Amino acid sequence: MYNAPMITVRLPQKNKELVLAGPRRVMDLLAEADVRPTTVIVTQGKRLLTKDHRVEDGATIDVLSVVSGG
Amino acid sequence: MKCKRCRRAEAAVDLPSHHSAFCPDCFFVFFRRQVTEGIRKLRLLAPEDRVLVCVSGGKDSLVLWDVLMDEGYGTEGLYIDLGIDGYSDRSKEKVLAYAASRGKTPIVVELAKEGIPIPEAARCVRMQECSICGTVKRYFFNRVAAEGKFTVVATGHNLDDETARLLGNLLHWQCDHLARQHPLLPEAGGGLVRKVKPLWRVSEVETAAYGFLKGIDYVTEECPMSLDATSLVYKEALSRIEDRMPGTRIVFYKGFLDPSNPLRKGAEVAGTPQACASCGAPTYAETCSFCKMKERVRKARSRRAARVSR
Repeated sequence: MYNAPMITVRLPQKNKELVLAGPRRVMDLLAEADVRPTTVIVTQGKRLLTKDHRVEDGATIDVLSVVSGG
Repeated sequence: MKCKRCRRAEAAVDLPSHHSAFCPDCFFVFFRRQVTEGIRKLRLLAPEDRVLVCVSGGKDSLVLWDVLMDEGYGTEGLYIDLGIDGYSDRSKEKVLAYAASRGKTPIVVELAKEGIPIPEAARCVRMQECSICGTVKRYFFNRVAAEGKFTVVATGHNLDDETARLLGNLLHWQCDHLARQHPLLPEAGGGLVRKVKPLWRVSEVETAAYGFLKGIDYVTEECPMSLDATSLVYKEALSRIEDRMPGTRIVFYKGFLDPSNPLRKGAEVAGTPQACASCGAPTYAETCSFCKMKERVRKARSRRAARVSR
């Protein structure tokens, strides 16, 4: 059976990893991961992605929280 | 999306609050301009200042140090080891590595050696860790600055931090706190060194993006003591508003800082501090908050030791 390639969305600070269908824009992936765009930066390797960037199937992106407390 | 500044390169950072998007090179220009404008508008720093930059290993303080060095200010870093298992070691490692990459050696204060590691102190006095941490840090920021003849202490508080604090102060009508909340706290007599927050115009997303694009290796994990900090509740509320109405945060904060704002009345009436009866540090009370806390910790330890020996 053929397995369609997917997008891997890693949320390292939450120890969480999601596998979502693509291709999709970063903002749509964040919405599905229930993450607000103003609280994170999204990276792919050494690249920083804008919220309207289209992520292709097979890609792995990291969603890094920027919120610090205290 | 193309960069709105150079209109050639692909954008890496989109900033709805500025109706803009930038490629890495143009973002560096934008970010540094935001910081230098923030410094200039409120006269936070002068070229001849000796700046003590308080660095925690997180993105904001390391980015602040990076920008101030690039802008030519004379800086040294101060790292306070809070004595939090694991977390403090990892954040110190980041600070030392970053400092070494810029040919610097930070000043390090170890709270365990000072007899007041944050987790134990919080248990002893039954206070929130963040509250104790704030008092202890402020004390050492000023002490190290005064002893080292620094003219100013700089911290990495950003727009999100300051608006969260402002919202908290407003919700509880903390008028005395509102009067003192400002990116510039001038020096006062008795050895109270000037304190500044040069990142007051930039958001957490912007400092994180700057740190990432500059290759600054900062600690991304959150302080385990601050997971239920009330400031996070205010930040979440503000970020929900910012999502729907980009630019609200900066309008909120700039409006607050406007000298004609009646909430700012009384900001200059703090008076001159006197020397703490116990340690000599500048304070507006007879004994400074740090000495009061140390005394409470000492008494709690004595009570515990007495219970154990019975």
